[in-house]
Amino acid sequence: MWNYFRDIGLGIVTVLTSMGVAWRHLFTRSVTLQYPTEKWTMPERSRMRLFNKIEDCIGCGQCARACPTDCITIQTEKRGKDEPEVFASDGTQIKLRTYVFDIDMALCCYCSLCTFPCPTHCLVMTPEYEYSVYDKLDHIYRFAKEKPLSGKAQKPHSEKTESHGQ
Amino acid sequence: MEVEYSGDVMTLNMGPQHPSTHGVLRLELKTDGEIVAAAIPHIGYLHRCFEKHVENVDYAGVVPYTDRMDYCAAMNMELGYVLAVEKLMGIEVNNRVRCIRIVMAELGRIASHLIAAGTYGNDIGSFTPFLWCFRDRERILDMFEETCGARLLYNYNWIGGLMFDIKPGFEDKLIEFLDYFEPQVDNLNRLLSDNWIFIKRTAEVGILSPETAISYGVTGPNLRGSGVKFDVRRDEPYLGYDEFDFEIPVGQGEYGPVGSCWDRYMVRIREVKESCKIIRQAVAKLTPGDVHESIPKRIKPPAGEIYMRTECPRGELGYYIVSDGGLKPYRLKVKSPCFTVMSAFEEVSRGAMISDVIAILGSFDIVLGEIDR
Ligand code: SF4
Ligand code: SF4
Repeated sequence: MWNYFRDIGLGIVTVLTSMGVAWRHLFTRSVTLQYPTEKWTMPERSRMRLFNKIEDCIGCGQCARACPTDCITIQTEKRGKDEPEVFASDGTQIKLRTYVFDIDMALCCYCSLCTFPCPTHCLVMTPEYEYSVYDKLDHIYRFAKEKPLSGKAQKPHSEKTESHGQ
Repeated sequence: MEVEYSGDVMTLNMGPQHPSTHGVLRLELKTDGEIVAAAIPHIGYLHRCFEKHVENVDYAGVVPYTDRMDYCAAMNMELGYVLAVEKLMGIEVNNRVRCIRIVMAELGRIASHLIAAGTYGNDIGSFTPFLWCFRDRERILDMFEETCGARLLYNYNWIGGLMFDIKPGFEDKLIEFLDYFEPQVDNLNRLLSDNWIFIKRTAEVGILSPETAISYGVTGPNLRGSGVKFDVRRDEPYLGYDEFDFEIPVGQGEYGPVGSCWDRYMVRIREVKESCKIIRQAVAKLTPGDVHESIPKRIKPPAGEIYMRTECPRGELGYYIVSDGGLKPYRLKVKSPCFTVMSAFEEVSRGAMISDVIAILGSFDIVLGEIDR
């Protein structure tokens, strides 16, 4: 009997204590953000969407080898001897023509392992985070701009991805 | 607890989509009225073939996968793996890397314990602590993001070093956070831990006796909640934890038998304070250095095998790696703390009330990503 009333008493007292703590909290600043209208500034090291400055890419394929999920597809060919020489912005000569450079952001695990071995620092992760799409295939970013000269048939990435997904 | 069973047994499925199972876990409860005669956990809903898959990934590429095992404490998960490979390759890291790793691991522990305490309060029916814990955890994640760019799955500990050095001014932020956070723990105590209703609800259920805990191989806060003083950080120090001064809190059974849900919960709250102490010491020990100094050009460990255990927030995390001298692990086996505690679950919950099953499960603080891997 005594225990019963003691429990009730202690219950009320401790609940009042916690309500006191919560009451004081009412007068502190709010910590939430009203997301689409207010936005948080991302720190500069944020690892979100990948971006490749394809003009600087020498097509070495080190990023694709480092990627644990194999989501980077690169196809290159040698530039001909009679073509003008091309240089990346840091002076490295670009000997290969990269005609496929696809990153499947739907497969990417945002580990950033691909950005470190890049010799010309052209592959970076940007702080941009709003890029949802309706179709999963739209997450394949095709960075390559040049066309192959040797006329090799270019295998569309989408086929490969679809067989991946099954 | 001795309970006489009689009458019909009804099978009740709890989960896989149950909010208090903390992931996708199905509990098959054989209930006799309100009393649970047997609780059989069915796991595997989150199985991602981690161990087999990493046999096809190079050593550096395994780190992001270890993050995804226990996503509440990814820093500690990758730390264990990285230390195992370093031990296999005989890499010694410098003092700066060691101290930053300790700071990050302890921050990860605080973040993880905050989730544990917050969701436990939520399971029991108290919502405010949940939000407050997440608010404080958010500040830790902000610090992580500032340092390595990711909020949840960091890939920050690399074999032989770290991804980035901490930013200038990080130490001040850290101290500022600790100064803010330590009083918050007391607030949390006043809000939840000392609440008599919460105590009545948890202090007499889910008794895990020390003998049972040891025989099942339970580790971490769950074992310490049963009053066994075992912590890998103290008993088999790695990263130089032996130079740090910290207590190992154990369950004392203030409000009921030792090893109750409340004891396990309280061990975590007390551990958070110890982690704060460790972080302060680690910041004081920070010396200048290069965090990329000992990263090997090519990660190719010699043939051999290694077992390395670390104390992750949920207990002893062990990595067993077999190397054939190649670029990929030949075999990798994880000893996960949640899996062992899950096997003890049936014994603990036998004879409990149905509503107490939630309390028991929550107090074990399991993460299904790590059980199923
Ligand atoms: S961030 Fe990781 S998963 Fe994504 S493309 Fe780079 S290496 Fe691959
Ligand atoms: S590592 Fe850099 S330069 Fe080489 S292929 Fe990748 S993006 Fe291009």
